[in-house]
Amino acid sequence: MLEPAQEVAGLEAGRKAKVDSATGKTGSPESPAAVSRHGAIRTNLFLLVLLGPTVLIVLAVVAYPFLYNVALSLSNMNIYHIRDWRIIGFEQYLAVLVEPTFWSIFLKTILWTLVNVVFHVGLGVFLAVVLHQKFVVGKPAWRVLLILPWALPQYITALTWRSMFNFEYGEINILLTRYLSLPPVEWLTSPFEAFMAAVLTNIWLGFPFMMVIALGGLQSIPTELYEAADVDGASAWRKFWTITAPLLRPVMIPAITLGVVWTFNNINVVWLVSNGGEPNDQTHILVSYVYEAAFSMYRFGWAAALSMIIFFILFVFTQTFLRSTKATEAAY
Amino acid sequence: MRYLMHGRLPDLILLVALVLSACASDDRRIHIKIWHQKIGAERAFFEEAVREYNARHDDRVVEVLYRETEEMRNLFIVASVGGQGPDVVFGPSDNVSLFVLTESILPIDRVMRPEFLSQFSNEGIIEWKGEPWMLADQVGNHLAFVYNTELIPDPPETTDELIDVLRSLTADDNRDGRIDRYGLTWNYTEPFFFIPFLSGYGGSVMDDQGRPTLDTEATVKAIQFVLDLRDKYGVIPKESDYNVAETLFKEKRAASIINGPWAWDGYATAGVDYFLAPIPRISETGLWAAPYISAKGYSINANVPAERFPYVRDLLEYLTGAEMQTRMAVQLATIPVIDSVRVAPEVRNNPILQASLRQIEVGRPMPLAPEMRQVWDGMRGPYQLVMNGAVSAEEGARLMQREVEKRIRDTFL
Repeated sequence: MLEPAQEVAGLEAGRKAKVDSATGKTGSPESPAAVSRHGAIRTNLFLLVLLGPTVLIVLAVVAYPFLYNVALSLSNMNIYHIRDWRIIGFEQYLAVLVEPTFWSIFLKTILWTLVNVVFHVGLGVFLAVVLHQKFVVGKPAWRVLLILPWALPQYITALTWRSMFNFEYGEINILLTRYLSLPPVEWLTSPFEAFMAAVLTNIWLGFPFMMVIALGGLQSIPTELYEAADVDGASAWRKFWTITAPLLRPVMIPAITLGVVWTFNNINVVWLVSNGGEPNDQTHILVSYVYEAAFSMYRFGWAAALSMIIFFILFVFTQTFLRSTKATEAAY
Repeated sequence: MRYLMHGRLPDLILLVALVLSACASDDRRIHIKIWHQKIGAERAFFEEAVREYNARHDDRVVEVLYRETEEMRNLFIVASVGGQGPDVVFGPSDNVSLFVLTESILPIDRVMRPEFLSQFSNEGIIEWKGEPWMLADQVGNHLAFVYNTELIPDPPETTDELIDVLRSLTADDNRDGRIDRYGLTWNYTEPFFFIPFLSGYGGSVMDDQGRPTLDTEATVKAIQFVLDLRDKYGVIPKESDYNVAETLFKEKRAASIINGPWAWDGYATAGVDYFLAPIPRISETGLWAAPYISAKGYSINANVPAERFPYVRDLLEYLTGAEMQTRMAVQLATIPVIDSVRVAPEVRNNPILQASLRQIEVGRPMPLAPEMRQVWDGMRGPYQLVMNGAVSAEEGARLMQREVEKRIRDTFL
């Protein structure tokens, strides 16, 4: 294995050899310059071997599908024109934007994302701070318990929650009626309650990720800062807002960005808990709406245009959020 | 890195190539792939039949892959349009129009021998626009009234009788205010299970021209009947999707269920003494609550090259032939589509099969129009709104009509 300094020297020598070659002053086969040139070629070849497959895979699984989706979004592809589709311009984009359902689902998606991420981050950071305290006993066991929802396959958790939300036989209503003397809730048949059921499930699924990230961040905060604060007589609340929160920020901002994108695009939970948007397609978020348009109604062009709009929304959000929070600057 | 940098890279590439080539199989058998949506006992039977077929042939191997019905239809269309997909796909006959529309399948008479096809009844060869596209191994796929014989000795014939029976069976045994056993259950989130009631009140989902006909008095009355069963008579659960309905019947917490042949064998396995009867006549109209009847069968991928036809032909002759249909009828209570099998003693003497045939006799053929996809999706939402009390039966019927029309219109864009 070459040390980094040796590699840099090799590259420098290779570059020099190139210059020599350009001026016609090539060295003899035995000369140090020629050896360096061969070294540089081998290095470049090695880099090509390493990068080549990655580039090919990225082109195949990211660039090609993306460009194909762009083409579909400009086309009339549907079940009647699946083989003879053609480019029709921006008609599908216009059709998406004039569809009233799109706007109501868009607002619902923003609400879905906001509520989920707020709870994911709030619960995650709270539990991480609690777990980080010295007085907590059995930390590894607590950590495993709290990570469990995240470790289980999403679809199993979602379907389990769906059965727990059943009006007559679900554990949630049994708990409400038998132990809390509250009336049963029509979790799965009323639009608002069904949406709440999906939100509750997703909060349960998502907080462990934020907790793990926050725990990692907390461990990197020097204890001396807290000791100094203790000397100054700072309260726990003040220590949290003046030490913990600012130093967690560089770790949490990228995690929140990811959380927003994942939650915005989380089809599994909504689809499985609400059984595909039930009741009456009123629990859809944008991404499940795309799925239904593409694979239930076979409106491929329309669905592709909608997915491009979703991409645009998330792209703008990510860029704006990262820039306004200066998250990358703080992290690096 | 030093190892790689000193002229050993070609050696490494050669080594990787050798390892990869060693891993490559020298299997020269013909691989025939089937995607299917058979579940439960039918799936176990099918996989065993394929194992037997593979054991008999050294030069070919049949590989089966289960997929859920809708997922299979979608993936098959996408795969076939992309020049891929399995050689054969098995599913319900209402897939045919979409497969034909997308040019995903071949007419079966291009592959199968005429003398083999001539054994089949009309129900066994699914035609669309004058050409045969699917070879069935059964007809039915129909809902029936399935009852626990310990609780219901004689099945009701009319809905008035049905309501009386269900009221006598719905019980809160321990008096805790929660019903311990319902008279009847079914998946009433799905419009497919609503069709018998719609038919019984003289309605239908579309006319002969394929135009939706849901905003009618028949739809309103059918919806109201289902609502009354739940809210007025309290004989069906407050909420019931497919899994809840299955669990209630299997655990004897429901005395009867409306379900299809794919599920019946599971009731025997769960220890329920069950029998079948036609879903009762609607007392008000005198019409049978007629479920949709459709065949299930095999279609051949449009991408199968001619040199593979003999293998596909041989396999389908095995899977849909008289011997297999007899075995299926005896073991799975499926209705054969070869006339000689249907009159065979094994079929005539099977009481479940005969009861199933009685339901088929009063059923309605499932429309094959591709718009059925929009019909199901358009009906589902408003039906659920009615069931959760958000809208009235009249408004539900209006919304169904509007939604189906919109979806049909939208699909063209």
